[in-house]
Amino acid sequence: MLTLFERETLNLATLNDEQTAIRVEQLNLAFDKKSVLSEISMRIPANRIVALIGQSGCGKSTLISCFNRMNDFYPQCRYEGKIIIDGRNINHRNENVAQLRARVGMVFQKPNPFPMSIFDNICYGLRLQGVTQRRQLDEAVEQALKDAALWNEVKDRLFDPASVLSGGQQQRLVIARALALKPEILLLDEPTSALDPLTTLHIEELMAQLKKRCTIVIVTHNMQQAARVSDYTAFLHQGRLIEYSDSDTLFTTPRKKQTEDYITGRYG
Amino acid sequence: MDKRWFYPWRNAAQRQTLVISLCAFFTAGLLLGLVGIILLIFARGGGYFWPEDIYEFGLPIDNKPEVRVFGEFQGSQGLASLGDKSARYWLVYSHSNPPYKRRALVAAHRVQNADIARHAARVLLHDGRTFLAKPVFLNKHDERGRVLDKLPAYQQQVQRLTDQIETIRDIHLGPLHRKISTLTLKDSQTNSGELLAGKRAFERWQSKVIQLEATRGQYTLTLEFADTNTITVPLNQLKQLVYPGQLNQVEKLWLTLGNIWQFLSQPPQQANTAGGIFPALFGTVLMVFLMTLIVTPFGVLAAVYLSEYAPRNAVTTAIRVAVANMAGVPSIVYGVFGLGFFIYGIGGQLDEWLFGDSLPAPTLGTPGLFWASLTMALLTLPVVIVATEEGLRNVPAEIKAGSYALGATKAETMWHTVLPMASPGIMTGVILAIARAAGEVAPLMLVGAVKFAPNLPVDSEFPFLHLERQFMHLGVLIYDGAFHSQTQTSGASMMFAACLLLLLVVFILNIIAVVLRNKLRKRYQKET
Ligand SMILES: Nc1ncnc2c1ncn2[C@@H]1O[C@H](COP(=O)(O)OP(=O)(O)O)[C@@H](O)[C@H]1O
Ligand SMILES: [Mg+2]
Repeated sequence: MLTLFERETLNLATLNDEQTAIRVEQLNLAFDKKSVLSEISMRIPANRIVALIGQSGCGKSTLISCFNRMNDFYPQCRYEGKIIIDGRNINHRNENVAQLRARVGMVFQKPNPFPMSIFDNICYGLRLQGVTQRRQLDEAVEQALKDAALWNEVKDRLFDPASVLSGGQQQRLVIARALALKPEILLLDEPTSALDPLTTLHIEELMAQLKKRCTIVIVTHNMQQAARVSDYTAFLHQGRLIEYSDSDTLFTTPRKKQTEDYITGRYG
Repeated sequence: MDKRWFYPWRNAAQRQTLVISLCAFFTAGLLLGLVGIILLIFARGGGYFWPEDIYEFGLPIDNKPEVRVFGEFQGSQGLASLGDKSARYWLVYSHSNPPYKRRALVAAHRVQNADIARHAARVLLHDGRTFLAKPVFLNKHDERGRVLDKLPAYQQQVQRLTDQIETIRDIHLGPLHRKISTLTLKDSQTNSGELLAGKRAFERWQSKVIQLEATRGQYTLTLEFADTNTITVPLNQLKQLVYPGQLNQVEKLWLTLGNIWQFLSQPPQQANTAGGIFPALFGTVLMVFLMTLIVTPFGVLAAVYLSEYAPRNAVTTAIRVAVANMAGVPSIVYGVFGLGFFIYGIGGQLDEWLFGDSLPAPTLGTPGLFWASLTMALLTLPVVIVATEEGLRNVPAEIKAGSYALGATKAETMWHTVLPMASPGIMTGVILAIARAAGEVAPLMLVGAVKFAPNLPVDSEFPFLHLERQFMHLGVLIYDGAFHSQTQTSGASMMFAACLLLLLVVFILNIIAVVLRNKLRKRYQKET
């Protein structure tokens, strides 16, 4: 019953600002002359899981990176349009990008723990925010590891180097590291494509838990995964948003031919 | 005509084998040469401390066909083996006129007739002079010809006299001297009585010292050379007296260790051809240490700027190429630059601003430890920059992205993640810099290293570390001593010992850095 309630679908077209975590308006993005994203407009509902699907190279990672402006590191990247989070256009040139990234966490395909202890990995973001008190850090670390369903496995070896953990544990550590900052939005770029099925299941369960705390945008190549975990799914093709609706609809009765072709595996 | 004779390597496999054999051959040759040099330095440098047996010889000296001398072997000329009839041997010997050591090449037949002189001793004086001679008797006051057994007792008495003299100097003469000079500076009229009393007391103590010194001077040791001429030395001059022929191997080893310690802990004597090398060792290590302190932050900052902040354009590329090429600039050019720019330029300007009163005598605009360290830092800067850039490049992009994604600014990412992960690379650069700086001599002679410095750059006087002082350096000491050793006899071996020490210093500094680097590597290398 509870899951049913949580999956209560909102009408994406009539989403008000209160219910919106990210509002994208007329986003265009190009690397040098090559257009990568064209006229993307979408609303990402708060406290829901939104999946981005599409062929390799269609611009999923680029789009998700727009939400915390990780594309800024490519000097050849140019973009226009608005992305509104918390009522502010984060594409504005006066936006404090470091603060934005503290509020919008991101996890990458390959687990990338820092070469430090498990404890220090989790404290990394907090210390940057100026938290130095040991008690506060201890509590935050425990909470973050519990949120990421890793606490029981590592509580006895918090000060071992993070590299001793397995791939799945490392990925959960990286998620815990992001969660320690209590982000409003969590961006996951193919978080399970480097992991085995069982570990993948672990992380999917974790996402369902995290929904209460934050909005999740996940990029995935795995159609079953998208259907399983996400509330809404957006299908991208060659930099355009082709179809965006609740996952049940999109996977059972897609409106566009391209979407149908993709989810039935006719190309991609 | 059959060309097989000219081309024995007819097919590709044979040619390849030949090329590989040639490479192996030359590599082996090079390695052998290297090992040979190191062995030579070890043998000659290490032998310097070993008490060699003393032999009695007949040598043609000063137009006389044969004069008896005491001497010791320093090895053969070239690589002749011992049985070789035509071989010639280096011999260090002592002869009564002048009584110092000399060096000569002697033919093999003399060596074969030589006997170990068990009663001959190596006599080392406090001023660094050494004799090879036979101690014959001790003298005290008018009693001449006391037996040698009394030597320890006599030395004790001499020591007691020396202690007395030192005590009088410290307790009485020093304070009196200070008192008299302050009184003289003040109005001499009012204190004339006190002044006179002071002067009287001073004279009284001084005559006492003179009397004690005269007594001490009467304790002497008479030494006899192989040609039966004798020499008499005051006992308080005697530093060490060893009979190598009467020692067993363990005693010799013990003595060798003592000699090594003396070598490491004492200042040089006799124009860098005798005594120890402590100030030079200290100066070398201190200079390298300061250089490391200067070059590491600057090199790392420059590398971080070049690889992370500088715009990626032609100018940056040009700078990078220039930096790489700076490593190839001859070191003497750096020396001239240091002298011209740092010392005369910056130092001179500072003198004008801060010490205008004492000009034209320079205060800072003169060669010294700091300028030398700065010049060497400049010399080794390219090495550190190149190695650090390499280390920065090796930090995975995902790690950086992970840091940025947690809200870190570029500077924070640098400081907390990238630099620690690049630290093994940085250490590699520092190792190379240390290896280069510790062995460099030419530029140092222009910017602060001298063959003799009266004071160490570190002492108990405020501010304890005297960066403006000139300092001694192992390389300069070797250079200087080697020059003297062409004319004097004992220098050459000491130079080998100093070379050995320089090698060891470079080696130890390297080992420390390598161990540190491996620690860092273990810590920051991700297992993948
Ligand atoms: N740094 C970059 N420079 C130039 N082109 C890029 C860069 N990053 C991505 N692209 C291009 O943008 C397009 C979208 O890439 P991406 O968003 O990574 O696709 P995906 O959907 O597989 O995640 C690709 O065609 C890729 O070639
Ligand atoms: Mg991607």
